[in-house]
Amino acid sequence: MLYVRGLRKRYRQVTAVDGIDLTVVAGERVALVGPNGAGKTTTLMSCLGAVHPDAGVIELLGQRSVRARRSALARVGFAAGYVSLPTYLRVIDYLALYARLYGSRRPHDQAMAALRRLDADQLAHRWGVELSSGQRTIVGIVKATMHSPALLVLDEPTASLDPDVAIRVRADLLDMCEQHGTALLITSHNMSEVERLAQRVVFLNAGRVLVDGPLEVIAARLGQSSLEDIFLHLREANGAKLPATEVPTESLQADSGASL
Amino acid sequence: MSVIADAGRPGGSLRRIGGVAIRHWCVTRRSPRILDIAVWPVFNTLLYGSIAVYARDSGGGSASTRTVISVVTGIVMWHVMYLAQNAVSNSFFHEIYTRQLASLLTTPLRPAEWVLGAALEGLIKVGVGVGAVTVASAVMFGVHVTDAGLAIAPVMALLLLTGWAMALIVVGVVMFLGSGTETLAWGLLLVIMPLSGVFYPVSVLPAVIRPISAVLPTTYAFNAARTVVDGSGSPWGSIGVAAVATAVLMAASFTFAVFSLRSFLRRGLISKYT
Repeated sequence: MLYVRGLRKRYRQVTAVDGIDLTVVAGERVALVGPNGAGKTTTLMSCLGAVHPDAGVIELLGQRSVRARRSALARVGFAAGYVSLPTYLRVIDYLALYARLYGSRRPHDQAMAALRRLDADQLAHRWGVELSSGQRTIVGIVKATMHSPALLVLDEPTASLDPDVAIRVRADLLDMCEQHGTALLITSHNMSEVERLAQRVVFLNAGRVLVDGPLEVIAARLGQSSLEDIFLHLREANGAKLPATEVPTESLQADSGASL
Repeated sequence: MSVIADAGRPGGSLRRIGGVAIRHWCVTRRSPRILDIAVWPVFNTLLYGSIAVYARDSGGGSASTRTVISVVTGIVMWHVMYLAQNAVSNSFFHEIYTRQLASLLTTPLRPAEWVLGAALEGLIKVGVGVGAVTVASAVMFGVHVTDAGLAIAPVMALLLLTGWAMALIVVGVVMFLGSGTETLAWGLLLVIMPLSGVFYPVSVLPAVIRPISAVLPTTYAFNAARTVVDGSGSPWGSIGVAAVATAVLMAASFTFAVFSLRSFLRRGLISKYT
């Protein structure tokens, strides 16, 4: 689904991404975790073509060239908590636009069916600007999933959802991943969400991969009991300026067999 | 056929272009933009037409009558270019202001498809707006641009293309320099207007400015429009020069827009618009 090697990106004096390797195979659910400024969003945007990296290889659904990767985006869904809805557009029209961009011949029907799947069809004829942040988030996830993508990329997707709605959205995402074999690449600061959704966790810091592997394997290696503890442990280690190689990234990946 | 294959085929491309056009038409018909398209242009026609009538009534004679025709024809033709430019530029600004760039750039939509979709929707705006000022000029000042017949069509087509080329420059400037530079971008048309002799032959411009006018495609297009409407000669020489100059401008503006987009993506400026 996604194969990234040696990804680098600098913004003026700041190195946002510093040689990241990342692999997501079909049907796999992977979380990118790290503190603010770790390079998560730049990595996602680079993979999706919205940022051109300075170096590295990106292969999206088997496509490497920029032009071919743009075509491959027809089978990729993207939603982010920070993406807003346009003014003067009803939800159904907004979703129909993206259905057309993804190649649907019956965009309104597809949009309505996707809204029903997330139990959100009552939002169809509301104006985008009238929605609460939670409702906008749901519409964003509907937009990203309505074409049953092979790879779903979510950047802080449930940041503004009520707990009960977030639980339902997570259940729907898991259901979709299992039913359609959809691969999931997600970033989140909500550690319990990552624990529920992801099979594999990639910790980033200062644009580098610190750890990559299944959560239970990482926890055992680092002697921590939860993802939050692992996060804090790695933050502390980084604060003490321990080198990234302190954490045996490669061996964890080999143990999991997930990414290599 | 796989979805990826379909995304690269003409049918998928047409659906995306249509999607963009429909999306912006939804915005146009529900927003106050209709004022920009059909109301403010009518008041512009009233303003410039009235100035021309005042000049005619003060001076008298057939030469002054030609001035009225020249000014009113100019304002009608000006709106072809202005509305074409305005439609594409405003659609782009709408994507920026409503923070849609990240969503759009992560779909199979190609930048050229977005431009074509916005331009397609812009054709409706141009039709409505130019229709309004054409009727207004006939009703208020008795100047019938449509009496020129089909000969005016190539002039309008060239001004339409020039408007789209200007829009690509505006979009390129904003992508390259960042939002906040819209004022600079809008000012472009205000510079073009006097230099192109929209309301008068460029021979009346100060001599030092005339060389600049001579390289603008709009100078020849507006001259051709005046010639067609007042029947004072053959417009085809001016139309020919305007066509060549417009082609050069289109190529230059497209190249600049592509350069700006690449720079935008390379500098990671998407983070400023999310």
